[in-house]
Amino acid sequence: MTFPLEAVVARPELASVLGVLVGFGFGFVLERAGFGDARKLLRQFFGTEMVMLKVMFGAIVTAVLGAVVLAGLGALDLRALADEVTSPTFLWPMIAGGFLVGVGIVLSGYCPGTSFVGIGSGKLDAAVAFAGVIVGQLLWAELELREPFRTFHGSGAYGHVYLYDLLRVPPAVVAAAIVAMAAGAFLLAERIERLLGAPAAPAEPPSPRRRVLAGFGGAALVALATLALPRGTSAVAAPAPRIDPEALARRVLDAPWTVRVLDLRPLEACAAARIPGAECAPPEALADLGMADAVPARDVVVVGAGDLADAPPEIRAYRGRVQVLAGGFEAWKAFALAPPEAPAPGASPAALETHRLRAGLNAALTGAAAPPPAPVLPAAGGARPKKKTGGGGCG
Amino acid sequence: MERNPTKFWNPYLAGVALGLVLLSAYLFVGKGLGASGPALRLAAAAVGAVAPGHVAATPSLARLGADGHPLDHYLVFVAVGTLLGGLVAAYTAGRLAPGVTRGPSAGVRLRLWMALGGGLLLGIGARLARGCASGQALTGGALLSAGSWAFMLAIFAGGYAAAWLARREWR
Repeated sequence: MTFPLEAVVARPELASVLGVLVGFGFGFVLERAGFGDARKLLRQFFGTEMVMLKVMFGAIVTAVLGAVVLAGLGALDLRALADEVTSPTFLWPMIAGGFLVGVGIVLSGYCPGTSFVGIGSGKLDAAVAFAGVIVGQLLWAELELREPFRTFHGSGAYGHVYLYDLLRVPPAVVAAAIVAMAAGAFLLAERIERLLGAPAAPAEPPSPRRRVLAGFGGAALVALATLALPRGTSAVAAPAPRIDPEALARRVLDAPWTVRVLDLRPLEACAAARIPGAECAPPEALADLGMADAVPARDVVVVGAGDLADAPPEIRAYRGRVQVLAGGFEAWKAFALAPPEAPAPGASPAALETHRLRAGLNAALTGAAAPPPAPVLPAAGGARPKKKTGGGGCG
Repeated sequence: MERNPTKFWNPYLAGVALGLVLLSAYLFVGKGLGASGPALRLAAAAVGAVAPGHVAATPSLARLGADGHPLDHYLVFVAVGTLLGGLVAAYTAGRLAPGVTRGPSAGVRLRLWMALGGGLLLGIGARLARGCASGQALTGGALLSAGSWAFMLAIFAGGYAAAWLARREWR
């Protein structure tokens, strides 16, 4: 069994139903932890009862360990899940935003998540804080499009970078380090509570902490043990996934900054004709690319003359995602450099869209006059190929 | 379930329970948690109902409705669930009571203005960081995203910096 469940990912309405259940659990646990009451959350910052740190860190450690153990057993592709779920890193706005959120938590007594729980508990101040969250977001949605806010909003862009990329160790080692950090933070928090603790702070029986930490330690050991498993079971050893010429064309045209195309054919062939934006990386030059040290912000696509079974090991050393162009340059040539046949009347909108892409691409790359436009088209698709290739007479 | 308004779960066990909720979102839905996203979607839907032209002219709002109605989104369903979960937990614990939570020396008016101002900062910060404590710190942090960890440390830095300023509101 592999996660996330394919049956759910393919059906958004099922994901929505499960979303209500997940949210219910989230709200229920937050309330039972005491976060429906702003004062409970705030004691974190006065040092008298550090519930926020314990709950937040405990939750992160639990989820990290679960995900890393499953990834180690080959049931989950950790990086693919994280690329899907998390936002790319924008370091400076994230630090500034975190600071503002920290100040906002102390002033309002809620983080946006706990304000739902406060509203559910009937607290007027939670509703007011939630209204503030809405207005604040609208305000930034306006400002983020204007200078100088726009530049700052996009600054420090490092793409999808994970702690295991920065530290260059397997995720299981990062997870074990986080468990050790959590244990230290819990002990420190309890010491601070004893120093500053108001007499009202309930005395915590130490046994749950010990049992929880023992469980974390055991799971961390399991995660480390999975490193010794043969790699054949995990996603790491599988050949690089494939991308078809159409999907690559769309990425190269629509979002060229997200993809780095490496052409592995001999230099002469690559110099004569290549995919727009591709780098020539003949076999003898692969070691000089230093892929193991490159920041894994962009997806790498390798292009061979014909179909490649897998990317060469120098490129597999890249810590980001590596894909192989299915069919190699031959397939690209057939897709982009040969004039497309006009679609049959009554073709599906998707087929018409593909035809427009191919026609525009073909016209731009070969300088050939564009074929006659396909019949009855919505106007939207046609501008796309023109935008990046700077030519083409499509539509 | 016994009703005891002053009894809460042990924070370590609550943390594990919250982690299991987050893990099940990853495993069964392939997604995470979030609270600021749904708030922005609610705002986009409200503005869209009053001034659709303005939403269309503002890309940061318009993209929320690109795939259908801005409220037809997984995180909005999570938010509905969060509200229900909080309501049921508060009711069954005997904590469901209308009121204003405030420190011993702060008046209701001061408290509500602080809640509004703090909420504004939460909103601006969450947009800047592309997520709030749930969507960015918890969800991204547990997937070991470097930016999420920087964000989380900055939350605690901001919180402790502001605690001194806000001591009259809460102590």
